[in-house]
This record gives sequence, C-alpha cells and structure tokens, in this order.
Amino acid sequence: MTVATDPALVMKAVRKVYGDGDDEVVALDHATLTVAGDEIVALVGPSGSGKTTLCSIAGGILSATEGTVVVGGQDISGMQAKQLTSFRASTVGFVFQSVNLVPFLTARENLLVVDEMGQRNRKVARARADQLLDELGLADRANNLPGQLSGGQRQRVAIGRSLMNDPKLVLFDEPTSALDTKLGEQVMELIRSEMASRGIAAIVVTHDERMTHYCDRTVHIVDGVLAA
Amino acid sequence: MFLALKEMNRAKARFGGLMAAVGLLVFLILFQQTLQNGLIDAFVGGIEKQSAPVLVYSVDGQRTLQSSVITPELQAAVEAVPEIGRSAPIGIGTFSTTTDGALSSATLFAYTEVGLGSPTTLAEGRLPEAAGEAVASTTGGEIAYAVGDTLVIEPGGEELTVVGLAEEAALFATSTMYVTWPTYESAVASSNPDARAPLPSVLGIEPAAGVTAEGAVAAVNAASLDADALTRQQAADETPGVAQIKQSFQIIFLLYGLVVPFVTGLFFLIITFQKAGSLTLLHAIGAPSKRLVAALLVQVVAVIGVGLAIGIALYAPVANADIGGIALRFQTTAVIGWSVLLLVLGVLSALLSAKRVLAIDPIDAMHGQGLGT
Amino acid sequence: MRIALLELRRRPGRFVTASIILTLIALLLLFLGGLLDGLINTSTAALRAQRGDLIVYSSTSESSFVRSRIDPSLRQTVAAVPGVTEVGGIGVAQLGARVPGNGPRDLADVALFGYEIPPTAVDEPPADGEVIADEVLKSDGVEQGMVLELGPARTPVTVVGFTTDTSFNGQGSLWGSAATWRDVQNANRPDAAVADGVFQSLVVVADGSVAPGKLAADIDAATAGATDTLTITAAIDAIPGVTEQRGVFNQILGVTVLIAVVVVALFFALLTVERTGLYGVLKAIGGRSRTLFGGLVLQAVVVTLIAAAIGGGLALLLDVAIPPGALPFDLSVGRIVLSVLLLLFAAVIGCAFSLRRVLRVDPASAIGSAS
Repeated sequence: MTVATDPALVMKAVRKVYGDGDDEVVALDHATLTVAGDEIVALVGPSGSGKTTLCSIAGGILSATEGTVVVGGQDISGMQAKQLTSFRASTVGFVFQSVNLVPFLTARENLLVVDEMGQRNRKVARARADQLLDELGLADRANNLPGQLSGGQRQRVAIGRSLMNDPKLVLFDEPTSALDTKLGEQVMELIRSEMASRGIAAIVVTHDERMTHYCDRTVHIVDGVLAA
Repeated sequence: MFLALKEMNRAKARFGGLMAAVGLLVFLILFQQTLQNGLIDAFVGGIEKQSAPVLVYSVDGQRTLQSSVITPELQAAVEAVPEIGRSAPIGIGTFSTTTDGALSSATLFAYTEVGLGSPTTLAEGRLPEAAGEAVASTTGGEIAYAVGDTLVIEPGGEELTVVGLAEEAALFATSTMYVTWPTYESAVASSNPDARAPLPSVLGIEPAAGVTAEGAVAAVNAASLDADALTRQQAADETPGVAQIKQSFQIIFLLYGLVVPFVTGLFFLIITFQKAGSLTLLHAIGAPSKRLVAALLVQVVAVIGVGLAIGIALYAPVANADIGGIALRFQTTAVIGWSVLLLVLGVLSALLSAKRVLAIDPIDAMHGQGLGT
Repeated sequence: MRIALLELRRRPGRFVTASIILTLIALLLLFLGGLLDGLINTSTAALRAQRGDLIVYSSTSESSFVRSRIDPSLRQTVAAVPGVTEVGGIGVAQLGARVPGNGPRDLADVALFGYEIPPTAVDEPPADGEVIADEVLKSDGVEQGMVLELGPARTPVTVVGFTTDTSFNGQGSLWGSAATWRDVQNANRPDAAVADGVFQSLVVVADGSVAPGKLAADIDAATAGATDTLTITAAIDAIPGVTEQRGVFNQILGVTVLIAVVVVALFFALLTVERTGLYGVLKAIGGRSRTLFGGLVLQAVVVTLIAAAIGGGLALLLDVAIPPGALPFDLSVGRIVLSVLLLLFAAVIGCAFSLRRVLRVDPASAIGSAS
C-alpha cells in the first residue's frame, strides 16, 4: 500500500445556504478543512451544528453553495448530479448512522451492491468482497442476511461496503450513537485499525466526545462554523 | 372517520388510482352485463313477447326457428293430441328489404290466429288486419321503425306498412315484423320466384282447459318423435347460442368480479403495512384498535363507493347505445346487485388488513418498530 | 439488476398478490380473445377456406348465401368479364342431420355446401349423394362411411372423407356436389327451392391481371347491378355479427389492458414509496436513477411474465376442459402471444408512473437522521 501524499479532502470557504432572502438558513458558513491522505478526523458538534452537511458535501451527496471542494485530487465543486453520482461510486465510501444494509441481501451481496451500482466488474468485485469479509472477520457470515447478524457484525458489513470501491475518503455518520459504550469502543477500534492499515482517510462525525481519542485529530463545529 | 378521510386527502394519487381501477372494472362488468342481456334479447326477445304459450318445432329444426319446418303430417299428429286446446301455424323467414332506399335484413314472424303468435302487447298502434300490414319490433336491426313507415321485400317489390309497434320483440338481431299469414306467403314468393307455398316453421299451441303448458309439451313430445314441443320460456332459453352466451359471460363475470376484491385487498394490505409506524403510535397514545379498524373500513367503503360511482358514470352513456342491432339498456337491477356484491367483497378483502391492525402491540412504539421486519 | 431479481426471489410475498391480479387479467385477456377468435372462426371458416378471390351474391341478398340467387344467364355474364379465369357455383343448406347411433331427438347441426371449385383442404366434389364432412362433426358421432339423413325429408348422404376448419355460422359443414345440394334443398326447403343450374352464389378465381377490388366492381357493372361482388375478406366481414363482435370484444380487451396498466402503476408506485429509503442509500453509494428504475421495470416484467405463464396455463386447461362444441373457444398461438405482449406493454407503461418518484429520491436522505 502506497502512502497517499495528496490530501484526501481540501475544503476552502465552503458555504451551504438553504432558502433565500429573509428565510435564508446558513447550514455551513465558510468551512475550511484539509484532511490528509491517511488521516482519521473526528468531526464533533451538537445536533444541528452542520456536521452532517459538511460530511454530505465532502462526500459529494450535496453541492456547496459557495467554495471549493477537492476530494482525492478531484475538484467536485462544480459537478452536476450525474457526475457526483459517478464520483461517489468510485471515490468515496459511506457508513451511515442507521447502517442501512439492504435487508434482503446477504453480507456478501451487500458488498457487491457497490459493484452493481458502479463499475460492473463482477469477478474482480467478488474476489474483493470475499477478501474484505475475511479481513473483517465475517468470512463465515458471508451468506447471512442482516437479520441474522448482530449489531456489531452489521456495522462491519457496512464498513466492508464502504471499502469496496477502494475509496480515497470514507465518511462515518455517527457510527456509535445507537450502541452501548463497550460496543461503541469496539466499533471505533475497528474503524481505526481498518482505516489505518489501509492508509485511507476518514471523517467520523460524532457528538460523543468519548470516542474521539480513536482519531488522529478532532475538529469542532458549532452553528455551521468550524472552530479555528 | 376524520383520520380516514384526512389520509385519503393527503394521498390523493394512490387512492385516486385505486378508485380509477375499481371504476374501470365496475364499468366493464356493468357494460358486459348489459351486453349479455341485450344480446339475448335481440335474438330471442320475440319468442318471449309473442302470445303462444307453447311452441312446437320439428326435431330437425334443432330449436332454431329458421330451420324448423312443420310438414302436414306432423301438424296433423300434433293437433290430434287431446291436451291441445287451440293450434295455429307460425311462419318465420328472414328477407332482404329496402327502407328509405337502404337495404337491410328483416325477419317476418307470421301468425294465423291472434293469441297464438301475435305480439302480446303493443306499444303503439294496432295489429295487422289487411295483407301487407305489419307490427314492427322497436328494437333489433339498425332501423327504428315508426307507425306509417313502409319497407319493400327484395327483389320482388312486395310492400309492407307498419301499423303498430311491439316493445323489444326482436329475433336474430334483425328488424322483426309481425304479419298475418297471407302477407308472409306473398313475401316468400316475392323473394324467390322458384319457391313453392311455404310450410309453417312452428306451431303455436294453447293447452286445453285444465292442462298446463308443461303438460301439453309432454303430451306432444310423447305423441310424435318428429315433434319438439317447448314452453315459450324454454324456447327462448334453449335456442342454440343462448346457453353459450350465458356460460361465456358467467366465466367473464367471475374473473372480473374476483379482480375487484383482490385489487382492493392488496392495496389496503400494503398501505396498512406502510403506515405501521403511525398506527402503532396512535395505538400507543390511546386510540382504541376498533377505531383504527373502523377508519380502515371507512376508507374501503369510500374507495368502492367512488369506484362504483365512476363505473356507473362511465356505463350510463354507453348503456343506451345500439350495437349492430343490439339495443342496450341501463339495467338498474344489475347496477344495484353488483354494487352490493362488490361492496361486500371489498369489505371482506380488507379483513386481512383489519386483522393486522388489531394485532398491533403498543410496546413497539417504544422500540421504533411497526409491523415491519 | 441483480438486486431487483434477488428481491423478487427473497421477498416474493410482496409481489405475489399483484401477480395473482395480473394472472386473473391474463386469463381474462386469453379467455375473451379465445372466445372472439372461436366465434369468428366458426362463423367464417367456410369462406376463409375458399380458393377463389371473389364471391358474387345477388344484389338484394345482403351478402347472405341463403337469400342470394344466381341463375345461369347471370353466371355467364360474370364468367365473361375480363380478368375472370374460373367461376364456380356454391350453395348452402342448413339443417339437422340424423346420425346413426344418436337418439331420435339428438341431431347434428350441419351446413351442407354444394360446390364446384374445391376450397382449401377439400378435394374435388364427390359423387352425387356423397359428402366430405368437417372434423368437428366427429364430436357428434359422425364417422367415415356413415349414412346421414338430412332434414325432415331425411335425404341420405354418405360421408366419404373428412376435412378441417370449414365451419359455417358455428355449424360443421358437409361438402357435396351441386346435385347433392339441390336434392337436399328441394326436398327439405320447398320455400327455397332451386332450379337446375341455379346457385346461391359464385366463387370467382381471377387471373391476376385486374386488382380484386376493381374486378369486383367490373363484375357488378357487367351485370348492371344485379350482383353484389365482394372480395373474400369483405365477404367475411359482411357475415352478420363479425364486425360487431370484433369491435365490442376489442373494446373490452382494450379497457382490460388499461386496467392492467392502472394495477401495475398503483402497486409499483406503492412499492416504490416503501423503498425510498433503500433507493436513497443506493444513490448515496453511487447508484444512478437509471439503474434503479431499470430494476423496477425488470421486476414488473418478471412478475408479468409469471402471471402470463400461469394465466396461459390456466387458459389452455380451460381449452381442454371445454367439451368441443360447448363454447366457441379457439386459443391460438397468435392470440397467446398477443395477450402476453399486451400485458408486458401494460406493465412497462404502468412502471412509468413511478419514474418521477425514483428520480426524485435524494441521496442526502440516507445520511443524517435515523431512517
């Protein structure tokens, strides 16, 4: 694994504004953030602080109203919806708060979904899926449906899915909020080891200060503004 | 009630779609019901509306008026049966005629005695008295005859004048004219110069005093193997094709009738499933299950009710159309009958959904679960 | 696409009821279609089998054999018209036939044709007193070599062979020489007696030098309007009831297909609403609307094909279960293919109503608040 030298994310003066005139809501105000190629950053703030918005823009799910966003060397600031879709399929990975595995697909098939939505190279994808499942300790659960897996196992499948397309950046949205302390720590440990061992950058959005020591650096955000 | 209607208002597209589906199905069912009745009426209405209570065909006629021929021997054999009161020949033939310059088919139904083959009631005018006069059926065929109209038998040129009208007394989906025997003889000669004097097609029979129609039928059939006696209603019902029409339509109604409860049942099952969350919540905050089920039933009745209204609205204008000589009529009994049946089926179909609503456990609201997996 | 198919396989329950409804609709389309084809085929087969190009009726007959008469001099005029190669007379008598072995009141309905130009699948006219019978009469007990007694006069004819698909007005037909037909007609239908040389209609074979439509007009002109000449197709359409049956049935079929569209639209719209969350997640990880919608259409097509297969199977069972002659039901491969195509068409159109909803799903809905 080569150490990535390009920063995974460079956001400059990004603003996200909803509505106009008197009804304007500024979700994100002049956010500037750089995440190195193999860095794990914790993004901490209370609910409504704009952390989800920042995460969405970084992942190409939302477009910024103003500012530039460069992910893995690619400038996505002006991209249209179609291009963003293609960008997401190839460059970023997501692990959602409510896991969001497809309930009628097995663990392996949940990983293969990424290939089906994007590149379409079945053989390569299958090999990769099996490898990831193995590395995540899920080799014997590959044919189980999410309903047959524990909460922690589901979380690991979600992480596996986020890694399928060999992303430059993985975005974790509140990965421990629904878990008790012990399980939460296990998940954070897993995130740390998986990201670090592959040298992949990650942003972990959380409001839980107990978990930030698993990350390289913590960034605080309040009311749409990143703390200096 | 409030909840039920509010939900429907918010989800106009899906409820509207369901109402449209039900409406179209109702329309097709009612239309085909009318079509069936109109078809049968156009072919054998005349048999039901003529005055002879018993008709004797020749067996060779296979219960088809046009194919039956009564030979003098057969006529004698039938008239010798003591259960017969009065008996009179009836002649039936289909001719090409011209009315107002246009060529069309007309069936002549010729009787020899009033009360044995003449129309039972007249909507207008009188029975024919002189030769060349006819009572026309109001339906059957594409021309609506009025008293005073004339038609010409082709190719000979024999003329008929309409002096009376009989309501819906058609045969073979053609214009049907009730005439006296001499008129019929002239018409036959007029249409085929090679023809010899026509024989009767069937005999119109009135049973003797104290004998029922069925009794007369049995007696005649026993007296001669060449005779095929039937009561008036039997003659109409057993005309070849009528039974087939009824059978075909029965299968059609069964299938369409099944689609309606399946569609409503599936729809309500899916939306009950989908709003499991809110149902659980309502139940948790104290709404009694019965109220939730009642809301469901209100929606079912509303959907079927509106569907029926749409279907009937589509059906009404078409119900009085005329398709190639078959007159359709708006059939109120059919409309009422089907409305009740479909409402009952619709409510029954929602029972499965109702069962699910009743099975909601309020504790699920705490865990954020509904009916789902 | 595979996701769509896997969902069908792993979660069949949600698709089963929609499939049942579509199966009922498929059965309806096939039953109605088969009924229509059966009715029309048994009415028109005798005409469809004719080898000629035109049929000549007398002008006041309203295209009915029974009311038409062509005498020898009229026939000569027709034969002399340029473009006419061959003229053959044809006449029909519809009566009841007594079949040996059947009860005294159990007659077979037959249409006896006297012909000169053999229709397709029928040989040259047999000897006088002999007839070739349509196979459908076998279900009435008619066998090779049997002597049938026709009409009240019980005119005997001997069955010397069989042919197929030549019914007329729903009755099985017998094909015999002109003399056979005249004997039967005169003995049984005195009011429709025919002199020697007189036929009800003529079958005309054209030499191809003149278009059939024009030739028909030429013939009518040559006879100064005494004839009404029609192409075989036009004659078929002129049989009473044919165009009306086709029209009414096709309208009913059309509305039924429309119902299928509404059913598919309704249920797949409901299904789509239920899957908005899933679509949000898939879009977030890079799935395009095109792929998702394609999966939806694929599911609709598969469900429809399954419904069509079951409906088709049931229709074929119905076809076998219906005793021959009980209902005019004719299920052809063409009708099955047409019905399946109509149903598929309805399925795809029905899906279109969900397209907007699929397009509108926002990938951002996957991130942030819990599902």
